[in-house]
Amino acid sequence: MDKAKLKKALKDFWYGKPHGERRLGDILEDKTGLYKHREWRGVKDTFYYFHNIWLYNYAMMVADILKSEDPVAFFKGVWRYRWVGQTYLPAIHWFDRGLQGLRGEALRASAWHYRAMVCVTIQQFQRMFAADAKLRGGEHNDYWHHTMAHKETVWGGIFYPWSDKFKDVPLEMIPYFVTCHVNSHTVLNYIDAVQSLGLPGDPCPMCQAEAGLFVLDDVPDYSPFLVTTNEACDASVASTAMQDWWFNKPLFAMPQPMQFDDPLVREHCAREIEECWKFIEEKTGVPFSYELLCKKLEAQNELQRFEWEKWDVDANTPYYPINGVAQALYRIYQSQYGDNYIWHKTDARVRKIMERCVKNKTLTFPETRHRVIAWSCAPLYYSNWCTWAYNCWGLNVVINMDSLMFDMTIRTDSYENTVEDMAQYHMWAPMRRMAVGGMHHFFELWKYMEQFNCDMVAMYDQLQCKGAQGMHGLFEDEFRKRNIHAFWLPHALPDSRTVSRAEIRRIISDYMTTVMHEEPLDPSLLEFDDSMSW
Amino acid sequence: MRKLWKICGIIAAAAAALYALLFTVFYFDLDGKLLYYVVEPFLVKHYDKMPRRDVTKDEYKMGNL
Repeated sequence: MDKAKLKKALKDFWYGKPHGERRLGDILEDKTGLYKHREWRGVKDTFYYFHNIWLYNYAMMVADILKSEDPVAFFKGVWRYRWVGQTYLPAIHWFDRGLQGLRGEALRASAWHYRAMVCVTIQQFQRMFAADAKLRGGEHNDYWHHTMAHKETVWGGIFYPWSDKFKDVPLEMIPYFVTCHVNSHTVLNYIDAVQSLGLPGDPCPMCQAEAGLFVLDDVPDYSPFLVTTNEACDASVASTAMQDWWFNKPLFAMPQPMQFDDPLVREHCAREIEECWKFIEEKTGVPFSYELLCKKLEAQNELQRFEWEKWDVDANTPYYPINGVAQALYRIYQSQYGDNYIWHKTDARVRKIMERCVKNKTLTFPETRHRVIAWSCAPLYYSNWCTWAYNCWGLNVVINMDSLMFDMTIRTDSYENTVEDMAQYHMWAPMRRMAVGGMHHFFELWKYMEQFNCDMVAMYDQLQCKGAQGMHGLFEDEFRKRNIHAFWLPHALPDSRTVSRAEIRRIISDYMTTVMHEEPLDPSLLEFDDSMSW
Repeated sequence: MRKLWKICGIIAAAAAALYALLFTVFYFDLDGKLLYYVVEPFLVKHYDKMPRRDVTKDEYKMGNL
């Protein structure tokens, strides 16, 4: 080896290869998406990943279980419930997929977001198992009496007034939503189960999977009652009917109105929240606490204020250290689940990193060619497509619709104002405000595109969402009229069989070559087979 | 004193070996391979043959409120 080659090899070993020379596709095993070897990111970042992400998170996953209400129940839960056994264990591979190719501050800040999501996930399933009567021969223990179940699309803030004595655990957030991201194989069992009863296969697969959990009797019995909603659509109403049948508990249905910009409807929604509180008081025997509600809302407002600071850096500088998938998942999880200590801890860590990036003018995504806004609902089985898109094409997804939905704090200066704002928040639910919430909200895209200095749109096309499909043509017209570069990403939310990951990549690559006339940054990522990947 | 050094040496060597082993597992994604090829198929087989209650036999009781 000549001297120049040796020097280059040593430099690559020490600093990692430059973006264009990485060939990240070559380190993947065919079909499974496992790594022949994990990425060498240079000495500093490889050992950061080894110590502070891989080792640390494995250790923290164990620590979180040990700190929970009933650590032994974890093993019983894994043995009993497919969604936890198949999903919890490969969690670190979920980190790998989302953080591929990242370096320096972006690697650090994005990984902290993943850590927070894992922690909150463990808190929830451990509480389910600690309270679960199915794991205890039908016995209803103290945890069972002090846990409140609700649909994942009911905001956790509704339950703040009882948060000192009770814990709320969404019914499907872990068994359905999180599993799709971590291990996309699991959810297919539930979709197939509900169709095996003869139900049609064309409604939203999210609602199918949520009902399928019950068909396979795979839902813990962890609470004396249930609060549901009609979110996001008619299919969701149908799945709620099945949940009512099979969960077989006192149920309060708290609908989210479609006409939510109407002040009279908001007033109606506020009264329904109050009705729900009366229902909880009746079922728990514990009175509503406005003081506790305000305390928790203030804590949540603090999270929102930091989110605005993040958006400011993201929109106006190239120093934002969080990648597209970490931004999207952390934000939707945090804003929908509600206040939790780990969000504050994570935000404090991320603040330090972000401030350091701004101070040192660190270019966190130096190969950015296009600043992309992702709109509508993302494919859950391929939420990390944006990590691939940056590595392959320099497409930096700086913001997404899910992050922007809850763009508000909640007033705590009077009871009336609090309830009014809570009604607004409740109505701005996931897949509602900007996905099926009327023309004004769909087209908020243009405002946010300008605010975040984006020059391209990744438009999700959930093939089984009738509401979103109705908008396809209108968006096409607007893209042409406004001369905006946009590519459509078809998908079936959790179901990876309808549109494969490879198909999504092919669509983006086709657009980048035929319309944008650009060359890939990493050609090894153009074609690879990950059809059997988690 | 010599014995103490020896014990420290053994502990350091064991720690170094453990560290090298963990790094090998990490770098070659052996954790992923173990979970993908061994643990997941084992668990899936278990879940697939698990007896499950037929929920369609449940009566739909109205008026739980």
